[in-house]
Amino acid sequence: MASAIRGGLNTLSNALSWAWLDTVCQYRRSRIGPLWETLNVLVMLLGLSVVSSAIFGSSVSDIIAYVGVGIIVWSAISALVIEGGGVFVRNAGYLSNSTLGLGLYVGRTVFKIMITFGHHAIIYVLGLVFALVPLGWTSLLAIPGIILLFVNGFWVVMVLGFICARYRDVELIVRNLMQLAFFVTPVFWNYRQIASNRQFLVEYNVLFYFIEIIRNPLLGEVPPLTHYLTVLGVTVAGYGLAFLVYRRMRGQLAFCV
Amino acid sequence: MAHVRLKNVNVSIPIYDSHALRLVRLPSFSNARVGSDSASRTNGIIVIHALKNLSLDLEEGDRVCLIGHNGAGKTTLLRLVAGIYPTSTGSVDVKGSAFTLLSGSIALNADATGYENIRLIANLYNWPSDEYQDLVRDIEEFTELGIYLSLPTRVYSAGMQARLSFALATAQNPDILLIDEGIGAGDAHFQEKARERVNQFVSRARILLLASHSKDLCRLMCTKALVLSKGESVFFGGVEEGFAFYEQMG
Repeated sequence: MASAIRGGLNTLSNALSWAWLDTVCQYRRSRIGPLWETLNVLVMLLGLSVVSSAIFGSSVSDIIAYVGVGIIVWSAISALVIEGGGVFVRNAGYLSNSTLGLGLYVGRTVFKIMITFGHHAIIYVLGLVFALVPLGWTSLLAIPGIILLFVNGFWVVMVLGFICARYRDVELIVRNLMQLAFFVTPVFWNYRQIASNRQFLVEYNVLFYFIEIIRNPLLGEVPPLTHYLTVLGVTVAGYGLAFLVYRRMRGQLAFCV
Repeated sequence: MAHVRLKNVNVSIPIYDSHALRLVRLPSFSNARVGSDSASRTNGIIVIHALKNLSLDLEEGDRVCLIGHNGAGKTTLLRLVAGIYPTSTGSVDVKGSAFTLLSGSIALNADATGYENIRLIANLYNWPSDEYQDLVRDIEEFTELGIYLSLPTRVYSAGMQARLSFALATAQNPDILLIDEGIGAGDAHFQEKARERVNQFVSRARILLLASHSKDLCRLMCTKALVLSKGESVFFGGVEEGFAFYEQMG
């Protein structure tokens, strides 16, 4: 047991340094590296804040914090889902020619997304500077939310990696669905503004809860306990699913990539 | 104690291709007629029988070369022992850490410098941290790449890349060493120097499996030979006898 934990931690730290090297190399290729993605998020949140305020009839400064945090979190969710689908195909060379464990490729992907997500914190700091987001002790509650998000990232990447390696069409389907999910999830619109007979669209959308446990605290609200319970439930179910998928598909993986 | 024990092992490789890889299947997309002893079709998926009923017992000190035509199952056997491929039936019992030296085992990151690549491989393969400095110095000395080690490997010539990959691969210290084909290390001047390093590398391993077409290399490194033909073991014994058997097989 102890050696298994040590092995797991070792894999995580190796994966982190691999992701770090990937980031360093990304900076080397372009002047601002992953900050391009941050810039992309910034442009997106400015644009959507304007659109959203026009549709829902509020001022841009009122909703920019809500939309902004939503899009930042969404960028991480969508990266986990989309990059997850390609994780084993991207690492096919290593996978079929080396004895390295799968955890390394999964960790490499999750940590790379985490580092990019860290870059987006600049946008949050800008929000603070312009006093668009409140800062208080409640804000710290975002940290467990972020941890929960990335803890789930590992099983998401692993499960999608397996399925998309075996069934190549799924990756494209997932991409399409993510686009749809962006619109049906309250990222740039407030769920309180939709008709009560459509609220279920939000209530049954687990992505909503992942966003809220980060967004609520950053906007000065304590997320309801049920949000956390939902996320924890998804986490447990997700790891259960990952275990089943791993057991069923691990052996065949080298034949698929 | 390291060992490799294979008992009545079969490895069937499904070809998840064209329509088989897709979730949504197009009707009658592929009508390849398959039905021989080396390939068959089950549930619409073509399956290659890469290893058939293979048994092999290797103990510490065994240095075995794998001989056989292309497609005889040499690389499959290496991947099986490495744990990359699963068996369809039969049992595999491998004890000891394995390192595979196949074509893509040590892939250099083109945008990272030589030193960063060394660090990465050291991390991934868990080189002991107290020996790290020595190993780096060793690689610097061996590759003679000098200042280039501080530059992205993208700017290296093919020969220089080969030297670095070779140096990284041969710095490993596994119990079971699985090598596919020759171990190339750039130009002729370098081959000379590489030989010594390969010898050390191979002698550190407790068990060696080397797939090669080079008689000289096999004679030099191995004490036993396993001849494979269409996925089956047809000879297991001395190296000379193995090559003699292989040649009269035609």
